[in-house]
Amino acid sequence: MDTVLKARNLTKYYQMGEVKVEALKGVDFDIYAAEFIVMLGPSGSGKSTMLNIIGGMDTPSSGEIYFKGKPLHGASEKVLTEYRRNAVGFVFQFYNLMPNLTAYENVMLSVEIAQNPLKAEDVLEQVGLGDRAGHFPAQLSGGEQQRVAIARAVAKNPELLLCDEPTGALDSATGIQVLKVLKDFNERYKKTVIVITHNASIAQMANRVFYLKDGRLEHIDNVANPVPPKEVSW
Amino acid sequence: MLTRKMWRDIGENKMAFIACAVVVIIGLTAYTSMQMAKDNLFRAGDSFYRQYHFGDGFAKIKNPMPSSQVEKLSDIRGIDQVQGRLVEDVRVTGLDERRNIYLRLISLQDQKPYILNGVKVLKGAMPEENSKALLLGDKFFTAHRLALGEPLTVIIDGKKVQLKIAGTGQSPDFVYAIRNAQNILPDPQAFDVAYLPYEVMDGLFNRQGAVNDLSFALKPGFKFEDVEQPLKTELKKYGLESLVSRADQASNVMLTEELKGLEKSARSVPVLFLAIAAIILYIMLKRMVESQRGQIGTLKAYGYRNHEIIWHYLSYGLIVGLAGGILGGVSGAVLSNSMTKLYQQYFSLPGLTGKFPLQYFFSGILFALGFSLIASYQGAKAILKLKPVDAMRPPAPSFKSKTRLEKLPVVWAAFTVQGRMAVRNMIRNKERSFFTLIGIVFTYSMMAALWSMYSMVDTMVLDQFYKVQKSDVKISFTKPLPLPDVVEELQNTGGVRRIEPLVEVPVTLQKDYRKKDVTALGLLPDAELFTPVDKLGSQIKIPAGGILLSEQTARKLKTGLGDRIRLESIWARESPVYVQVAGIVPQYIGSNVYMDQKALLALLGQGDMATGALISMDPGQIPGLKERYGTSKYVDNLEERQQSIDLYKKLMDNNKTTLLLMVLMAVVAGFAIVYNSSIITLAERERELASLRVLGMRPKEVMEVVSVEQWFIGAFGVLAGVPFALAMNQGIAGGMSSDLYTLPGRTSPAALFLALLGTVLAIWVAQFWVFRKIARLDLVGVLKERE
Repeated sequence: MDTVLKARNLTKYYQMGEVKVEALKGVDFDIYAAEFIVMLGPSGSGKSTMLNIIGGMDTPSSGEIYFKGKPLHGASEKVLTEYRRNAVGFVFQFYNLMPNLTAYENVMLSVEIAQNPLKAEDVLEQVGLGDRAGHFPAQLSGGEQQRVAIARAVAKNPELLLCDEPTGALDSATGIQVLKVLKDFNERYKKTVIVITHNASIAQMANRVFYLKDGRLEHIDNVANPVPPKEVSW
Repeated sequence: MLTRKMWRDIGENKMAFIACAVVVIIGLTAYTSMQMAKDNLFRAGDSFYRQYHFGDGFAKIKNPMPSSQVEKLSDIRGIDQVQGRLVEDVRVTGLDERRNIYLRLISLQDQKPYILNGVKVLKGAMPEENSKALLLGDKFFTAHRLALGEPLTVIIDGKKVQLKIAGTGQSPDFVYAIRNAQNILPDPQAFDVAYLPYEVMDGLFNRQGAVNDLSFALKPGFKFEDVEQPLKTELKKYGLESLVSRADQASNVMLTEELKGLEKSARSVPVLFLAIAAIILYIMLKRMVESQRGQIGTLKAYGYRNHEIIWHYLSYGLIVGLAGGILGGVSGAVLSNSMTKLYQQYFSLPGLTGKFPLQYFFSGILFALGFSLIASYQGAKAILKLKPVDAMRPPAPSFKSKTRLEKLPVVWAAFTVQGRMAVRNMIRNKERSFFTLIGIVFTYSMMAALWSMYSMVDTMVLDQFYKVQKSDVKISFTKPLPLPDVVEELQNTGGVRRIEPLVEVPVTLQKDYRKKDVTALGLLPDAELFTPVDKLGSQIKIPAGGILLSEQTARKLKTGLGDRIRLESIWARESPVYVQVAGIVPQYIGSNVYMDQKALLALLGQGDMATGALISMDPGQIPGLKERYGTSKYVDNLEERQQSIDLYKKLMDNNKTTLLLMVLMAVVAGFAIVYNSSIITLAERERELASLRVLGMRPKEVMEVVSVEQWFIGAFGVLAGVPFALAMNQGIAGGMSSDLYTLPGRTSPAALFLALLGTVLAIWVAQFWVFRKIARLDLVGVLKERE
């Protein structure tokens, strides 16, 4: 299997005023093409920091991380921008949709800059929002907004789809719908999906589960038989 | 998609964008209109001067000079050709008996190689040789609704003479037709020029082939100064009254001064407004970038490049600059047309039409775009430094320590909680508070300066006519008359209350190499009808010896109290003579110098005589006086105070409209700045304010958080604006003053107060809009965002 991401001894420190916060304390992992990874851990375990570094939003304080062999550690903002532009799709916990663009326009926002995008209409159809395309975020429910956010990330057709607590703000029925969209993308387009959450039950649908605690990767579970999203118990 | 986002963002902040664009429009309107009007005026003047050979120098002589002698002057090295003509002022009767109407008759010249100061025929045709017909100034012709072929009655040497109107025409030496320096404005109802054949004029005035006015052209490579001295020597025996270069020729001075003034304003006024627009845009963009941190973070997370995001934010500036530039250019073109029309009223330039040189339209747009883009870039450049992870987080709260004000418990206790929030907010956002302050200082000082300017023009005119020139009628004689006879004669006229003989002589003052031609007024020691006043409006006593100079004369000569200056005059028995400067007085209209009447006559070596008289009389009896002396061959000019006042009042009314418009612009600019900075506060503190609303506060109470800040800065702005207003006024007064008039650089308390009202209005209107936004805050929505 092709290695998409390779990390060695990743660390991240934040200087918060006079306090030095160690968010990552030396993490190693490899992630392969078309995997569905769930990163589990309580608040403050370093999940978000890890996702930010993987997504090229932030750089590690030390250690190495490679995307398809190209180093992301020490890369310039310009290189990271191109990496995010061409290889990464983000789904945020609080959606972060542009409030004054419609659902369709929000998706177009990423289609316009992608090299090999999917059709915005198709993606919206896949997330079940074909008929809501003309609505502004304020006219959509939380689940619908999250599905627009996923559509926006997926439409770029990225190598990596990174999701930060995608179901965190949703009820279980809506959450399962959202997970289904993520799994769909993973299977249909054979792209890597990484989901971070503190909801352990989501782990059942992953190929592998990363357990984070206190800035360290405690262990990795291989899931023999991932369950389909609709069977995930909440 | 970002373009759509931009349009919707603009739509959400219409008021702010419109206010900003309006300020740009104002600036660009000023730029385009003034540049276009200047261009029109310049081109018309330039081509008229060239085509009709405007002279390089002009001389006026008192004694007739035989035409045969004129030719000889061309022998002076540097002179290309000289032409002599007759110039005489005459009164016109039969048109409007309520007014004193004068025409300056000018003899038409022969075609030599070319005619200097040639006359362009506008209507009708040139008068035929030896026919008693004239070409009339076109404005006079129109103002009196005359018709071609009609007769016009003028008074020559006390006799009525009829002249036929053959047509209308204009020469380049009278494009701005004023009778003398005391008249600032042309008044075609009362004065204009007329041209008639030399032979006819010679006959009417019995000049026997002589001339009294010369103009000459210089050979290429020569300057006026090269021929000045030889000409003076040659013309001395003819009683040289004045010798001026083209640059000092009265009509041309008005044209060039106007062009200079336009040029100056066209460079400064638009910059002022664009600078304000730039500040507004800067604040606006800064606020947008701050409030859209999350969106910027998302865009960055999606791989949008820095320049794409920056460009998105710059496009707001682009829209404002482009919209403001185009609309400003269009309205400037429209305004330039009415400005040109206004100039057509003052300047008789045949080629003066409202053209729209496109280069100013486009340079204006570029100008506006440059300003807007730079301002937006400055406002938005923080994006570059923002890392996507940080951008996604709300900015860290910056409450570090208490403000100084809080250390004064008594003062601090006086604030409500909302007031305290406002004060802290203001002090912690120093930069924005500073820009708001600048905006208010601008709004306030601009309004104060504008209101003052109005009162300055007021002061200038009213001081002149109510404090200085208090005579109801001023008579000028055609030649000096013996003093006792004058007084006796006029005393017996009905309704006359007081007569003061006047000695008014043209003199040339010189200190070192600096020279100035002025009119010297010899006043009685107990004069009541003409009394120079000082800056505070109290009368200045005319000293028994020495000369009082007007401020602008003293400035021009670079002389001061106690200096001895050289005085030359055709009236002096011996020339030059020397006189000591006894004082310097402000003077708003004209640039006279004053002396005691006896002292002046003694200095000139003349006996008791008067060149005119000042009369205070019953206004009802003025027509009688006119009836009696209007046609007298000794009377050259009858000037009625009321006529002059009316003329200036008319001018002031014109100014009022312009002024009001500019005050309105200042209010709009002030509004835009205050509104924007309030909106920023609102955006930043939406959650806090919504929380206060949830706590049960009324919109009005919540509003205090925003308004206290604005009123606080507003108060500081007004205080700081006072010295700015004073300085601005001095600047405007200095810039607008010329040889012909001086504007007093005074700022009236009333102007300061009116400006305060205007500023309060601007702040209040801006807050009203903010209040509406607060009242409509979506409480649930705001508080739900970002748990």
